[in-house]
Amino acid sequence: MTMKALTANRLDDGEAVFWMGGRWVDRFAEAQLWGDQDPDADAAEAHAKSELTQVVDAYLIDVIESEGGYAPLSYRERVRAMGPTNKLEHGKQAEGGASIEALVHAHGAARSTGRVNLIKRK
Amino acid sequence: MYRYDEIDRAILTDRVAEFREQATRRLAGLITEDQFKPIRLMNGLYLQLHAYMLRIAIPYGALTSAKLRKLAYIARTYDKGYGHFTTRTNLQLHWIKLRDAPDILEHLAEVELHSIQTSGNCIRNLTADPHAGATADEVDDPRVWAEAIRQWSTFHPEFSFLPRKFKIAVTAAATDRAAIKVYDIGLRLHRAEDGELGFEVLVGGGLGRTPYLGSTIRKHLPTRHLLSYLQAILRVYNRAGRRDNAWKARIKILVSSLGAEEFARQVEEEWEREPRDGVDLPDEELARIRAAFAPQGFETLPPVSAAFQSAKANDRAFARFARHNVKPHKVPGYAIVDVSLKAPGETPGDCSADQMDVVADLAERFSHDEVRVSYEQNLILPHVKLDDVPQVYAELEAAGLATPNIGLISDIIACPGLDYCALANARAIPIAQDIAKRFADPERAEVVGELKIKISGCINACGHHHVGHIGILGVDKKGEEFYQLTLGGSGAEDAEVGKMLGPALPADKVADAVEQLVEVYMRERAEGERFLDTFRRTGMSPFKEAVYADAR
Repeated sequence: MTMKALTANRLDDGEAVFWMGGRWVDRFAEAQLWGDQDPDADAAEAHAKSELTQVVDAYLIDVIESEGGYAPLSYRERVRAMGPTNKLEHGKQAEGGASIEALVHAHGAARSTGRVNLIKRK
Repeated sequence: MYRYDEIDRAILTDRVAEFREQATRRLAGLITEDQFKPIRLMNGLYLQLHAYMLRIAIPYGALTSAKLRKLAYIARTYDKGYGHFTTRTNLQLHWIKLRDAPDILEHLAEVELHSIQTSGNCIRNLTADPHAGATADEVDDPRVWAEAIRQWSTFHPEFSFLPRKFKIAVTAAATDRAAIKVYDIGLRLHRAEDGELGFEVLVGGGLGRTPYLGSTIRKHLPTRHLLSYLQAILRVYNRAGRRDNAWKARIKILVSSLGAEEFARQVEEEWEREPRDGVDLPDEELARIRAAFAPQGFETLPPVSAAFQSAKANDRAFARFARHNVKPHKVPGYAIVDVSLKAPGETPGDCSADQMDVVADLAERFSHDEVRVSYEQNLILPHVKLDDVPQVYAELEAAGLATPNIGLISDIIACPGLDYCALANARAIPIAQDIAKRFADPERAEVVGELKIKISGCINACGHHHVGHIGILGVDKKGEEFYQLTLGGSGAEDAEVGKMLGPALPADKVADAVEQLVEVYMRERAEGERFLDTFRRTGMSPFKEAVYADAR
């Protein structure tokens, strides 16, 4: 079953972050997940877009189950949640652990971006 | 090397102070992201997948040891200890924090560097032949003209909101090391039959979604009219270039739709109409710039160095380095030394802060304090005495910078791709790493000979895939990475856009396919033929058959 999470980049350092019940967290494993049709997801996105000092470019992403955990559906979002694959010592993946493994091994019939309500920018 | 005057310095100091205030207001929430984004982009600060990315301009790819040391300091202090040299001869830092950006720009200004003209629809940072001032192949020093264009174009009020970004490349040599045919404007300095120095002016080249090679719109433009002629080209483009569709806004689309002849006619008309005085460079200013690049400090040396010859005879690894990474210099007894940023398994174009310090140190001791960046994502020490090459080699080797693979199959161009870039559809770096590891044996790479592989992670083509002998373009098929191969491209003086090999391949089949292509080449090649020559002779068939044989 597809779920949703809310992601953005933190304003002051650009770090990829995820919404968890009223605050932004660094780890995807801690992200709040909503059911596919849950209106609270849209409400959280609207709230994130309206505030000025915490994050940039907030958007909802599709999430799937992977190895008993969850992972973003699209490869792009998995890279954001892990770090660059050419330098495994950089980014969130440096921490390791089961939740990172779930991201590494996630395979989805992914949509092209996994980004909901995407307006493609030039 | 050109040094800033008071005007250059004042511009930069003001700009840093202005950006510091803007960033502070953004962090405090006094301006919105929509308001701030164009401002940060005008200062080279992009937001990517994991962090902000700062693109630092390296005008015409020229660095001094002080500049390179400063880049090392910034990479170490504000990033994760490395930087990525790009096909535009810029340096990208991929882990930058917005709150640090004003301090970084201040550090850069101390050594006459900045991030201006690295984003937005303006005239971007210039590219020039990285062998400028060192190669015997040139009729003049292209840096003189590149610097003149830099001064003219920076913050040019009329050309700050063009339909789209605008890139200019300059060379003065017959061998094209600046890819001038794939630039919005390519300038090739040459001498007319009467000896007069002038530019061949090419317009409308470009890669991206619709690749074109530039068309020559003027065979000989006397050098004194360079700036007025550029102004005429930019005015025609600014007036007639499309602004309704970003994909059709580059000058290449305008030149293609009008036809090069009609475009040239409009440029000439514009150029004839406007007074040139006040636009063209005054002689005294040209002399001031030229003096900054005057050759100095070269010793009178015999053309053959006993130390260099004996090192070649006694050390096979050094001999291989000398064959591929050491190029002839215009001054007897000197050489141009290529510093490879393509050690197999490493990220193409990446350079650690420690490695930057090593190269800066070598430049100071052995290369007249100069370092160049090539669009093929390597560094160059342009003025090394042949006597010193063995010592330079030894120190590069110790720093992991002496891979003897310049122009060979493992000297791969790759953009940052989906590992970093917000625009990418697929990764480029791991594909480059896979291929380079297959050909890591230097003897094998040498037997294969010149073969330029260029990889882009999306259609914007920062990795120049269209002009790779083997080009590789990452595409996204339902969320999975696939790669389209093209063959027969070239970004050099024999420029050509590559042709599609066949259906896209999954990521784990790309290196296999490259091996198969190389096998076909080795089987088919005639004496003295490069991969590109063989492909041009045989056409696509044997290559296509080999890669898709299993699929039939």
